[in-house]
Amino acid sequence: MCCTPLLTHESEVGVAKGRPGPLGFYLASGWLLVCVFTAFFGDFFPLPKWDEYDYDNLGLPLFSDGHLLGTDYDGSDVLSGLVHGARTSLGISFTAVFIGSVIGGLLGIVAAYRRGWVDSVVTMYFNVSLAIPTIVLTLVMVALFATPNVDDPSSGWPRELVLIISLTLVIIPILGRLARGSALSWSGRDFVLVAESIGMKKRSILRTHIIPNVLPSMMSVAFLAAGVVIVIEGGLAILGVGANPGASWGSMLAKNRGELAITPHTTLVPAGVIGLTVMALNYFGDYFRLRIDDRESRI
Amino acid sequence: MTNSTVSHLRDDREILLRVENLVVEYTTKAGTVRAVSDVSLDVAAGETVAIVGESGCGKSTLAKGVMQLIPTVSGKVLLNGNDLASLKGEELRRARPNIQMIFQDSISSLDPHLRVRELVEQPLKVWGRGTDEERRAKVDDLLRSVNLDPSIVGDRKPTEFSGGQCQRISIARALSIEPQLLVCDEPVSSLDVSIQAQILNIIQAMKIRYGLSLLFISHDLAVVRAISDCVYVMYLGKVCEVAPPERLASSPAHHYTHALVSAVPIPDPTVGRRRAILEGEPPSPTNPPSGCRFRTRCPAATEKCAAEEPQLREVSPGQFVACHHPRG
Amino acid sequence: MSALFELENLRVQFDTKRGKLHAVRGVTLHIAAGECLGIVGESGSGKTVMWRAAMGLLRGKKVHRSGSVRLLGRELLPMSAKEVRHFWGTEIAMVFQDPMTALNPVRRIGSQFSEALVKRLRMDKAAANERVVELLRLVRMPEPEKLVRKYPLQLSGGMRQRVMIAMAIACNPKLLLADEPTTALDVTVQAQVLELLSDLREKLGMGMVIVTHDLGIVAGHSDRIAVLYAGEVVELATTRSLFARTKMPYTEALLKSIPRLDGKRGETLQAIEGAPPDPVAQTAACFFAPRCRYATEKCRTEHPELLDDGTGHWYRCFYPLKAPAQ
Repeated sequence: MCCTPLLTHESEVGVAKGRPGPLGFYLASGWLLVCVFTAFFGDFFPLPKWDEYDYDNLGLPLFSDGHLLGTDYDGSDVLSGLVHGARTSLGISFTAVFIGSVIGGLLGIVAAYRRGWVDSVVTMYFNVSLAIPTIVLTLVMVALFATPNVDDPSSGWPRELVLIISLTLVIIPILGRLARGSALSWSGRDFVLVAESIGMKKRSILRTHIIPNVLPSMMSVAFLAAGVVIVIEGGLAILGVGANPGASWGSMLAKNRGELAITPHTTLVPAGVIGLTVMALNYFGDYFRLRIDDRESRI
Repeated sequence: MTNSTVSHLRDDREILLRVENLVVEYTTKAGTVRAVSDVSLDVAAGETVAIVGESGCGKSTLAKGVMQLIPTVSGKVLLNGNDLASLKGEELRRARPNIQMIFQDSISSLDPHLRVRELVEQPLKVWGRGTDEERRAKVDDLLRSVNLDPSIVGDRKPTEFSGGQCQRISIARALSIEPQLLVCDEPVSSLDVSIQAQILNIIQAMKIRYGLSLLFISHDLAVVRAISDCVYVMYLGKVCEVAPPERLASSPAHHYTHALVSAVPIPDPTVGRRRAILEGEPPSPTNPPSGCRFRTRCPAATEKCAAEEPQLREVSPGQFVACHHPRG
Repeated sequence: MSALFELENLRVQFDTKRGKLHAVRGVTLHIAAGECLGIVGESGSGKTVMWRAAMGLLRGKKVHRSGSVRLLGRELLPMSAKEVRHFWGTEIAMVFQDPMTALNPVRRIGSQFSEALVKRLRMDKAAANERVVELLRLVRMPEPEKLVRKYPLQLSGGMRQRVMIAMAIACNPKLLLADEPTTALDVTVQAQVLELLSDLREKLGMGMVIVTHDLGIVAGHSDRIAVLYAGEVVELATTRSLFARTKMPYTEALLKSIPRLDGKRGETLQAIEGAPPDPVAQTAACFFAPRCRYATEKCRTEHPELLDDGTGHWYRCFYPLKAPAQ
């Protein structure tokens, strides 16, 4: 009986260089857990409300009494702002990426497996959407949906919702093209032909063989995309179409950038938080990519 | 080299598979290629029929065409009298359990994220054969019959195994629903020399155990000689000779077959052979020569060969050749 | 006959995650001028690692080479990559399984060639171009003048292989090393290429080494054959002697397991069960013992040395086969 698993020296001599060590894993996941925890339970923290203006304590520096990270120019506490911002920034980013991935992924995979007119239509949709600049799209959507009427200040959709929708629309073609490419490559593999020859239905083949193999590469990009969306939101905030000022990390940046010379920490601290979060997300993206590369190199 | 007459097909024996005038085309930038050009063959119950040829002759395309995994332009593929080429969708799907296939790249034939047991069990699940218990027992039995220990390999993934082991798993999987015909597309070509023999022996053993018929595609004449009852030689999409293997090796009638046979290296330095070394390169498949396709490289070509395409005709019992001036 | 190329006790090890991987465990071979040596082995036998390490193609912190490799008396192992490259093309040339490793897909064939000639042999461009056409004619390419303007991907596999051979012999090397030169080719093309190699060898008086897994190829084209298993030479003899008086059970088993065109039909192939040993594992036994039908206790506890039977037929076995093998 010859059952010893494969032992080729090529796969062993090629040691994976640059594989992130376990320390990075713990740091990244630790940070993300903190962020997610804060997003959920931030309300229970014993902090002043994020939009409470403490007019007696404008522009306090770091480590002041009662305001651990200081306050910005209108008295809002920086730490509370970060806590609340976690919910907004992560909420927008994760929701947009998740929904975008699901829709884009489904479209891409079905297009790749079906080919023919379905593929042409979906690809055309992807290409057109990718051609629309994010900023223009968001501006238009905010103007159409999130701007209150002159006579009714509370009308219009909440900013955050509009942002989620427009960012989802941006993510769909990105993840969709990736999914399509990956599904195309997997569809060409012999084992898919084998599945057909056994007599599996096309739907079963998609479900059992194609989707589970495409998912890992999508996950890797999804993590990276989440980081990018957080940064994009910041950019949009600076243009005035992000979340309401101070409500998210990006809009904290936007709100306080004018005060960079006077109270630099009100800009730098949110920027630092964004940076750390994006790094942690990128770390996971890389981690999944390496695991996939590892596996695919053996095939 | 046309087979529009199907004179070499048999009516007297219990014929399991009968392919008539099969044509398979695909389009490339350079034009339409007729990879399989009017090919007919048959496989009797319990028989091993081999298709040999070099790259570009269309043998793999023929295998996929017979399996209806790629669309065929015209022709019939009669399995137990049922024409697979005329079936579509669900009807075709239902016909599949009777004819299974093993591919050349054994590792790529297995889904890397599934475990061995799940892979071998798949056909049984698709066709709802047996309960969970029964299926598990059958899978274990199948693995044992291909010399793999189910307790060791069952829960592992294909990437942990060598080419030879993956091929065994593929064989186990193909046989789980007990097809009547097994199509083997170059099953041992990418395996190491000493592993080839192991896999060939397993295929032979399975053939006996399950009463299979085999359609065996290969470029290796020596392999084909060892296991087949009847050999078809293909060149540029057409069948040029059909014969039992000993006859093919000892007195090939077609000039291409002769060149092929004399080119095969024999591990014996004392065998001195007259090498018929072919001149030139194979012609482009998009623009094959008129008349006999082999005439551009054939030492015996005449004007007739350019004008008229030769048909398969019997030159000795069981040996058919498509040539105007066959050898011997 | 002075030895053209010598390997003495060559050992190659790799550092891997699982420990030291012994790819080549002390190989000693020599090739005389003008002779053809066939090196036969399966994957994992070390046949490719052996000569690549000898030629200095395998380097790095994780590669350990020891022993001696001499080309016309000069030691190659201690040389740097640059120094060894000096010999490539002029003394020793290589032909690989995949011609695209030697051919640049974005350059025309003529210019790839002539560059080598201009640099190596200090020819002027015109003379180099003429020589290129001459060489292509030597390897029996049709219409060589037109060919020099083509790109490698416009040619078929067999033609590319011949171009690679032409490039290899361009600077008149004394030794041609061919690593699985025909494995990727069709059988009829293989026959053409092998015939060409034999022909060139005679015409140019080159020595040749053919590394392959195919015993059929070496039977027809080499003077002597070395059989490798698990990184060692297990049998070394003249071609006739190897087939007529096989001594190693491995060689015998290999011969019995190969399907042959001249074999009897219905004769079952006798497969060698099991698999080659793990190159990381160290053992004091004979490496083939677990798969050998003649193995005894001694074979499982001691490692046999390579011995000569007096006629230049070397074998590594405690119980070499006596009767002529079939």
